[in-house]
Amino acid sequence: MKNYSFLPLGVLALGLLLSGCAGESTSDTSTEGAEDSTQISFIHWRGEDKAVLDDIITQFEDKNPDISVEMTIYPSEQYQATGQRLLQDGSTGDVFTSFPGAQFEAIASAGLFEDLNGEDFVSNFDEELISVGQKDEAQLALPYQLVFNMPVYNKGMFDELGLEVPKSWTEFQAVADTLLENGITPIAFPGADIGPNQFMNSMMMNNAPDEDVFEKLQNGEESLTNEWWVKTLEDFQLLEEKGYIQADSLGTSQDSAMAMVANEEAAMLATGSYHMSALLDLNPDLELDLMAPITVEESEAVYEGINTATFMLAVNSQSEKKEQAKEFITFLSQPEIASHYANETGQHLTVNDVEYESEVLQNTAYWIDERKTRFQPRFLITNAQIEAAVLSSIENVLGGADPMTAAEEAQQLVDENRE
Amino acid sequence: MKISKSIYLFFLPGLLLYAIFFIYPTVSALFYSFTDWDGLSSSFQFVGIDNYERAFTGDTIFRKTIGNNLKFMLVVVVFQTFVALAFALVVLKNTKTTIFLRALYFFPTILSSVSVAFIWSFIYDPSLGILNQTLELVGLGSLAQNWLGNADIAIYSLAVTQIWFHAGQMLIIFVAGLQSIPDELYEVAKIEGATKWQTFRNVTWPLLAPSATIVIAYTTIQSFKAFDLVFAMTGGGPNNSTEIVATYIFDIAFRSYQFGYASAISVIFMIIIATITFLQFKALRSDRISY
Repeated sequence: MKNYSFLPLGVLALGLLLSGCAGESTSDTSTEGAEDSTQISFIHWRGEDKAVLDDIITQFEDKNPDISVEMTIYPSEQYQATGQRLLQDGSTGDVFTSFPGAQFEAIASAGLFEDLNGEDFVSNFDEELISVGQKDEAQLALPYQLVFNMPVYNKGMFDELGLEVPKSWTEFQAVADTLLENGITPIAFPGADIGPNQFMNSMMMNNAPDEDVFEKLQNGEESLTNEWWVKTLEDFQLLEEKGYIQADSLGTSQDSAMAMVANEEAAMLATGSYHMSALLDLNPDLELDLMAPITVEESEAVYEGINTATFMLAVNSQSEKKEQAKEFITFLSQPEIASHYANETGQHLTVNDVEYESEVLQNTAYWIDERKTRFQPRFLITNAQIEAAVLSSIENVLGGADPMTAAEEAQQLVDENRE
Repeated sequence: MKISKSIYLFFLPGLLLYAIFFIYPTVSALFYSFTDWDGLSSSFQFVGIDNYERAFTGDTIFRKTIGNNLKFMLVVVVFQTFVALAFALVVLKNTKTTIFLRALYFFPTILSSVSVAFIWSFIYDPSLGILNQTLELVGLGSLAQNWLGNADIAIYSLAVTQIWFHAGQMLIIFVAGLQSIPDELYEVAKIEGATKWQTFRNVTWPLLAPSATIVIAYTTIQSFKAFDLVFAMTGGGPNNSTEIVATYIFDIAFRSYQFGYASAISVIFMIIIATITFLQFKALRSDRISY
């Protein structure tokens, strides 16, 4: 194995060959502070959090006049394409964020995460929710947000129609039939963008309760042609054929699907808790909660929903300002600061003792510790090409393919991409 | 005439830029295509021609992207050339209407690709989109489609957007070509009683060959390199039906962290584009007619 100092230039090489691929970036800089202060760089992809993070940074700088924070926000695609590569020379991203899954694995393999084990601020987080940031017994990143990647449903509509949250696949179909009889589409499914990525989680969670199933798929011990995945595809087919998801779902965008739920044309939105505040912006009269379809009989159900700890805070191992970077994470993990962030962004967090003020966050907080949820299975696929193959098989079935045929085609792609 | 050596200094900035932004990246991509670099690590290993072997024999999606690219290119080249030529013939005269039409036809080209993607995603939306709603309104509801969600037609829907976006640029080239044809030739054709079609077939089209060569070659390259619209409108889906080489390279490099393999595909892609462009120029140049 050889070391090369000119690797970053290679990024330029492919980037330029792919001319025209670059997206637009938005960035913001907070550079207030004493002239002799140490400036740290904080990079992430959540443009929608800019205002609250600006405010938090101002508070941090007031309390730590010797440290200033420069925040740069990249659109998520650009963050993946270029942002994280800036970490390599340590000049930017003293504090950075990452997604769980393939991105976390790649950054970990490149050795760009500083091990945070032993840092005091780690205890500010719920220890059960930060395991996704661990690798080889090191705490490489600390997930900040807690998302439930399962359908948001119109609780008010359910109450009005006398519907109970279904506890089995049979009950789910009965509920869906009742909704259809009342002229309501049971599930708005944004198949043109994030629908398959999100809905696959709750659709498969009880068909394959083994949390290692995708690890086994990647190492060849499991196959998409096995019962657990073919059944999941058959369930998707049933949703399509019975009209439980809207017609032309693969052409439906996230915005259109949200509009269906906001207008009460549909009862469920097949995305996740992160859309609840946006739905309420569209229709403040909605009463919302979360509900995953249980695709097995009640006695066989192991899980009730899906959780994902994401927006993983990390310190760049190449940084020369690691102590200051850790100070910033310490600040972010204070309950009062985290509460401010949670309430302003409408997100649940992994930080202990957060106080949720908004009604929707309070009403759904019971999912954090009262319900049996499992970590988002999709993020346990660490090979992005295999993840794409899995998702394609769902699109294939919703496009009219036979579930077994779709599973076989996807398995071929899995075999081609297995490392 | 003796050229001063100092004139070469004028070439220097251009050459330097060319070397930095074309030669160096190309050579680098070629270098990395023989490695397993993940794009993030500070080390890698040489893997010989493994990446190329994988592209040709072990990667179903890559072969599919080539097919998708060819479909996309054929539709775009044929129809964009036809549409641009038709527009050029319409706006050739300098009347108030034609000036307005020129502006109208050229308008899409000033938009950003992201805006175009947003506009056309809305147009194509199966339930809210104006395309299906218009078809319903005029009694052609049976033609309403899931334009971007149907794997059989999504690539053609994208091609229509690409044509709408870029036909205006090609229009300019055709207008310039048409304006360079001497009026005398049209006068002679008129005196000899040629019909409009005969005039177009025997005078206009042959003398437009240089412009057509540029338009077709440029459109080919442009449609092969298409990225933004596809990325923003379908992301390659559904079921990889609109995955083209450029979006696939992006996925491989920046989502799968296989920078070495992505470099190999880029090199193959560059060779394909260069070959097709070369063949096109050769074929179209041999068709040129001089009067």
